[in-house]
Amino acid sequence: MTNHYTDIGNADAILIIGSNAAEHHPISFRWVLKAKEKGATVIHVDPKFSRTSARSSYHVPLRSGTDIAFMGGMCKYILDNKKYFAEYVNEYTNASFLVGEKYSFKDGLFSGFDPAKKKYDKSQWAFEKDEKGLVKRDKTFQHPRCVINVLKKHYERYNLDLVSQVTGVSKENLVKVYESFAATGRPDKAGTIMYALGWTQHTVGVQNIRLAGIVQLLLGNFGVAGGGINALRGEPNVQGSTDHALLYGYIPGYHNAPYANWKTLEEYQKGNTPKTADPMSVNWWGNRPKYIVSLLKGWFGENATKDNDFCYGLLPKLDVGMDCSHLFLFDRMYQGRIKGGFIFGHNPCQSFPNSNKVRKAFDKLDWLVVGEVFHNETTDNFRRPGADPRKCKTEVFLLPSAYRAEKEGTISNSGRWHMWHYKAIEPIGQCKSMGWMFVEIMKRVRALYAKEGGALPEAILKHDIPSEFNAEEMNRRINGYFTRDVEIGGKQYKKGQLVPGFPLLQADGSTSSLCWVYCGGYTEAEGNLSKRRDLTQTPMQAKIGLYPKFAWAWPMNRRVLYNRASVDKNGKPYNPAKAVIEWDGKAWQGDVPDGGQPPMAQKGGVYPFIMTTDGHGQLYGPGREDGPLPEHYEPAETPLAQNPFSPQMNNPCMKKVSGSEYDVLCKPADPRFPIVLTTYSMTEHWCSGSETRNGNGLLEAEPQQYIEMSPQLAAERGIKNGDVVEVESLRGKVQAVAMVTIRIKPFQVMGKTVHLVGMPFAFGWTKPKCGDATNRLTTSVGDPNTTIPEYKACMVNVRKATKVTEL
Amino acid sequence: MSVSRRGFIKLLGAGTACLGLSKLGVDLAPAQAYAAGMKIEGAREVISICPFCSCGCNTLVHVKDGRIINVEGDPDYPISAGGLCAKGAALKSLHTSSERLTRPLYRAPGSAKWVEKDWNWMLDTIARKVKDQRDKDFTLKNADGVEVNRLESVFSLGSSQMSNEECAVAHQSLRSLGIVHMDHQARV
Amino acid sequence: MPKAILIDTTRCTACRGCQVGCKEWKNYPAVATKQRGTHQNPPDLGPYNVKLVRFSEHQDGDSVKWLFFPDACRHCLEVPCKSGAELEDSIIVDKETGAVIYTEKTAKENFETIKSSCPYDIPRLDPKTRRIVKCDMCIDRVKKNLLPMCVKSCAMGAMTFGERSDILKIAAERLVAVQKENPKAQLCDMENVNVIYLVAEAPSKYHKFAVADASDAMKGDPGMTRQQMLAGKFAPLRKLAGPAQG
Repeated sequence: MTNHYTDIGNADAILIIGSNAAEHHPISFRWVLKAKEKGATVIHVDPKFSRTSARSSYHVPLRSGTDIAFMGGMCKYILDNKKYFAEYVNEYTNASFLVGEKYSFKDGLFSGFDPAKKKYDKSQWAFEKDEKGLVKRDKTFQHPRCVINVLKKHYERYNLDLVSQVTGVSKENLVKVYESFAATGRPDKAGTIMYALGWTQHTVGVQNIRLAGIVQLLLGNFGVAGGGINALRGEPNVQGSTDHALLYGYIPGYHNAPYANWKTLEEYQKGNTPKTADPMSVNWWGNRPKYIVSLLKGWFGENATKDNDFCYGLLPKLDVGMDCSHLFLFDRMYQGRIKGGFIFGHNPCQSFPNSNKVRKAFDKLDWLVVGEVFHNETTDNFRRPGADPRKCKTEVFLLPSAYRAEKEGTISNSGRWHMWHYKAIEPIGQCKSMGWMFVEIMKRVRALYAKEGGALPEAILKHDIPSEFNAEEMNRRINGYFTRDVEIGGKQYKKGQLVPGFPLLQADGSTSSLCWVYCGGYTEAEGNLSKRRDLTQTPMQAKIGLYPKFAWAWPMNRRVLYNRASVDKNGKPYNPAKAVIEWDGKAWQGDVPDGGQPPMAQKGGVYPFIMTTDGHGQLYGPGREDGPLPEHYEPAETPLAQNPFSPQMNNPCMKKVSGSEYDVLCKPADPRFPIVLTTYSMTEHWCSGSETRNGNGLLEAEPQQYIEMSPQLAAERGIKNGDVVEVESLRGKVQAVAMVTIRIKPFQVMGKTVHLVGMPFAFGWTKPKCGDATNRLTTSVGDPNTTIPEYKACMVNVRKATKVTEL
Repeated sequence: MSVSRRGFIKLLGAGTACLGLSKLGVDLAPAQAYAAGMKIEGAREVISICPFCSCGCNTLVHVKDGRIINVEGDPDYPISAGGLCAKGAALKSLHTSSERLTRPLYRAPGSAKWVEKDWNWMLDTIARKVKDQRDKDFTLKNADGVEVNRLESVFSLGSSQMSNEECAVAHQSLRSLGIVHMDHQARV
Repeated sequence: MPKAILIDTTRCTACRGCQVGCKEWKNYPAVATKQRGTHQNPPDLGPYNVKLVRFSEHQDGDSVKWLFFPDACRHCLEVPCKSGAELEDSIIVDKETGAVIYTEKTAKENFETIKSSCPYDIPRLDPKTRRIVKCDMCIDRVKKNLLPMCVKSCAMGAMTFGERSDILKIAAERLVAVQKENPKAQLCDMENVNVIYLVAEAPSKYHKFAVADASDAMKGDPGMTRQQMLAGKFAPLRKLAGPAQG
């Protein structure tokens, strides 16, 4: 989230799209309702009418996978009707930047596409620069290649007729949404967008969010109270686990993992540290080398020295273009190329797409270590329905895990609040925390390497891994220490002292930090700030519910990101009634500002978007794999025979795997599979359901697999409410109880009726008669930037079950 | 530490003492004389956090005789003001469920059953598996002859259920082994 | 001074924190259920489900209305079920809070009589103990200055607990606010109950027994007003009503 949960209460308009907040982030809705009662319009755009819709001002049904068409139409509406916040757009975004001559867009493709590699040459999208290296600008917006004009041209095609035809949303509803939300393009109004997995889980997932970013920049909604883009992260600590990068392609703190083309630390730093020629751009990522060296010091301790490249050479390197995300992992596992592994608190046999493939892939493993709280479809995969345990060779080590109240530590909520939880009781039975498991396993592996040698032992042995797991000590390590006595800015710091904040991290090895964004969260002066429980606020902070002394938020306790964009060039809040920060002539008041420099118009002033190289919000963003501007493509499986926006049917860069007979996609408009399926989580069950199916009142409230469908579809198929039906895709079959409901409506798309059905993915075979994985239906395709799979749209057929076997 | 217990009996009338005490982990009993029968009377109250969605609702866990007897929302958490959804409300029964895994279990190749093992055997055996696999499959150089120091045949998945501290130690451990097939719920 | 609860259904998101929170506080066991084509589960109140969120959906012109009703005992001011009881102390009213409490002695009462005397179809029989069961306003918590668990669980502000006089004021203010957009909004049986529901639509759209159902009682004595019936001035005539589903 750019903002945080309580801040949603400050919004004048709330667009919930790609999220069913009331059901999947129930408590967030407390703040939606508060805003609504103060007069905010709450708009829910989603394929089905849900509990979120029930409490919104109105609901607009949208065919799954057409969000870019929908939001592209909004972009056009804002530009055509000049609803944007002109000063903000001109000064704070790259609207005036000139796009280079090599950029073009034709027939659904941007310039630079290599059809053989299915990749773009992104250099073709670069801005035009002058001889000093500064991006050329036309603040009069006359130049045809300035970003705002490129944007206008790109979204020219997104007219109401076409958007309505593609999305299935009536023109009347389109205008209603566009008008209500665009009304926040004024200094004294704020609109926020709440999204979740309904946006990320598409082959155009990243571009869905890019387009929200574009709309919010046009309306001047970043940095302000009640504004921003609020990603409702899908998991308890997925914010923290992403910050700490349990992801193949990153190392903690949002840095690329080392790749083979960066052979030395110097090459890595050079390849990853952006430079700007503009003195007014803070270009915060220019500090990256400090964070990388501090991370290496945190990992390798005394063993990391300037002379040995801080042990950079010992780190594993990926080959350029290598994708090790789960889509590819299971492809390789299916092919027998993966031999063993670890799973902690995860249920891939249930929660990963194309689960028939995933379940079979596991049979190929020699060994598997699983840390879990309950048995689930993954731990017990060897005895799944239809499988013969005798034929499964995998040795499984199932480690009983402590549950939340049995351990202490921090989690980070979606609003980046870093919060401590205490241990209420000792873990039951012989349960242990996962931190303990890692440390104990590593202790033994290291002992074996110390004794026996083996493959590159120093890569393991030179690491400074703690010998006991202690959450307090790890928290300090994450914050980071001074590794020697130093003087910075005239101030002395002693070896072993905690670093007071990431602006003091150094690239010379004098500091350590396991994740720079958390540096400042544990200080000598105030201790462990994640434990703070102080609800006091200044009157200015109280007006917007900032709670700056409750726990701690990264970065540097800033609660609203990009908050320098909430003030004009002289530091005066655009909306004084809900000021986030304000320049009092000497200093900033309110929230922790996005950098302490004076306002932009004053001496020493800087641009507000400090994380971008050029200091401006990126309407045009040359960095993504699939284009500088979002474009509508149909999902990998679609009810349409053609993409009405261009001859390019699907995202040309989408990730695909093909290692098994399950990796198949039906043809566009395949008559065998005419119904769109979208999948979702539930209020009463947590994700794959493996925990909550054991909850007393939870399984009784939602006991069995179901499929929500319209009365029209049910009538066509002779299905009655409560009947067991069989849902089939090209990859598998699932049985479910039909929930025939007026909350789902057929869509009118390109002149034909398109039916949509929805299913949760929480029901699995380990609880008898509750049904089994919906993900047996979904596809193995993903977004080109993130490789997040397209859970939200695939094509199926539905018929009444002749024999009930799963329920 | 300042705890105001906003939300407790806001309307019940001034002057009535609240059950919640100002400090974590303090025995509730001495604070007030209670009539018999209220189950969290005399319980220790500990602040925890709901392990489900990313709202991060703080919870109050009530403990008696080393057992969790109640979990409810923490009224001081500004986001929830003490509320919990259905999942959060079920935390007591989830923590105390008889379905919980409580002992290390081992499943041998071809077996249909789990066998209980002790922790030392499990950890020693896992460490040996990891080392043997790593020694067998470790890639020092890629096809172009560039040093890559990686282990492709072993993977790791998870977890957003771990604390930040656990994530940090997990990331470090996995990179130290050279593991590159590393992913978690951020993509699910 | 009796306590009261305002249940503002216009704020309810049916997250079911109250339904599950109640069950957890009471240590009630799980009930085996089936998916029957609705999110409402269990289908009805039961001995181990004294709080139940009812779901009902309606097409209203172009728009869909999905209504949620967290159902439980209304803790009537004049207690009709008590008038149906044979024993003095099987159903007691706590003077301090106004909570209507079913004691273990309800095992000796005629369940059908007690059930049919309730105009909200609340009492249920525990087949194991033979006791009659319903919400007790978390009297144990309330006596210790804690909120009833359902109210405590609700993060949406849909449930407010307090002195009856305060709650009546809050209810009246909320009604005015809600009526701006929902002219049919009303406070259900406010004068007669301590658990007051604010609904935006006709009460019957939420639940058959959202407001007191006196139809059976009045059939027995056509001259009786609903007010009289609620005051308990009638013999428990209302026949056992079938479980309402939504």
